[in-house]
Amino acid sequence: MTDTLLQLAGVAYTYRGGAGVHDVDLEVRAGEVHALVGLNGAGKSTLMKLVLGMLRPQRGTVEVLGEEVGDAGREVWGAVGALVEHPLAYGELDAATNLALAARLHGVAARDVAGTVDAVLDELDLATYAGVLVRRLSAGNAQRVGLAAALAHRPRLLVLDEPTTALDPAGIITLREALLRRAAAGAGVLVSSHHLDEVARIADRISVIAEGRMIGSLDPGGVDIERAFFAKVHEAVTR
Amino acid sequence: MNGFRTAMVVEARKATASSTLRATGVLLALGVPAIVAAILAAAHGGGTPQARAQMLAKLGPEIAKADWHALVLASTQVTAAASVFAFGLGAAWLVGREFADGTAPALFGLPVSRPAIAAAKLVVHLCWAVIVSSVLAVTLALVGLAFGLGVPGAEVVAGLVRIVVLGTLSALIALAATVAATLGRGILPGVAVAAVTIVVAQITVFTGATAWVPLAAPALWAMDPGAVSAGPLTLVVAFGAACAALTIALWDRLQLVR
Repeated sequence: MTDTLLQLAGVAYTYRGGAGVHDVDLEVRAGEVHALVGLNGAGKSTLMKLVLGMLRPQRGTVEVLGEEVGDAGREVWGAVGALVEHPLAYGELDAATNLALAARLHGVAARDVAGTVDAVLDELDLATYAGVLVRRLSAGNAQRVGLAAALAHRPRLLVLDEPTTALDPAGIITLREALLRRAAAGAGVLVSSHHLDEVARIADRISVIAEGRMIGSLDPGGVDIERAFFAKVHEAVTR
Repeated sequence: MNGFRTAMVVEARKATASSTLRATGVLLALGVPAIVAAILAAAHGGGTPQARAQMLAKLGPEIAKADWHALVLASTQVTAAASVFAFGLGAAWLVGREFADGTAPALFGLPVSRPAIAAAKLVVHLCWAVIVSSVLAVTLALVGLAFGLGVPGAEVVAGLVRIVVLGTLSALIALAATVAATLGRGILPGVAVAAVTIVVAQITVFTGATAWVPLAAPALWAMDPGAVSAGPLTLVVAFGAACAALTIALWDRLQLVR
């Protein structure tokens, strides 16, 4: 079994107008949190869309759990959990029902759904809201439901785009602990974020993206990570 | 098609919680009988003479008898117009809501394939249409009984069954809305296609066009089954199947380019 859960090699995708990602190499190994940081429009979300098949790369290859993304089947996707742009949660359904449907869509057997939902409600501190319609939840709690949907089936690879969006400090800590637990259990996590301090707390590796290109990495244990980040971005955009 | 059964469970659960489908179904299943009841009341002598004359001019002199035959005839005409739009609205919502609500990205990277999800949506749409059409036919029968038209004969029952089939065929035509909702990435493009479909269908019927136009065939058949052969009706099924196949293919190739 390969230790590398996600591998991008020479990946490029250019939108009409020129934005996109160019010649990106990236790897996520089992048991590590790999953070992707960059300014708005740097290409983080585009990269995640390429990983999940929402966009087809114009050049290069994306391998998820050892399979080319275009050929990945049930087994591969059943071991992936993702939250990109909007949570898998429907306003007309309550949180528990949303999580039950998400578990089914992620390949959890019908007999195991109730236990799976209870466990993730507990893990993300959502039990109070289990019976509340998602449209009545705050943005932060709706985001938690989406994160729970991505985590519930215990995926080997997690792909999370700005997962702390709308979360309150308690929610951020709950998520941080959940991700560290999953990584400690052997899962690989690719997470994008604007929050450098938060990223520094959980990431094993931090890659910096600017104008669609990977421009280097940051030391998660570094003393002034914010200064280092802006220095790299400035150097890249003025080159 | 990976995970079709799971997709059916998920889509059926979403549909049962949908206020859009519930409201649209209730409006059709109760709205058409309400209109027909008003027509029968007018035919019985209610309303002004001018309004009555206008109604008979639009719906035909047979309506004036206000019997079971008049009820079935009026119901068929009203259902032909209303069902294409109502089912088009439902179809547009079922597919377009994933884009409008922003949940479409969450349908990638799943062991259940997008073609399976799209197919499940189409099956749910057709099941919903059959249920609504059946409730509509039963409600129409209750309207007839309430007007004291007596026990309906076999011909009337056949006419009410034709209304169920008309609704189902209209739901097939309405699948054009799922193609538009997918291409337009939202509910409104589907609704626009449903609106255009109903206008074209009505113009086609009232200008006496050939039954070989798929949009017109169900209504012409339901009003006069002997006048329309199996060929045009098969064409309606083929039209619906083509729209379904195109929708599934579009979901298979779906890309979320901003």
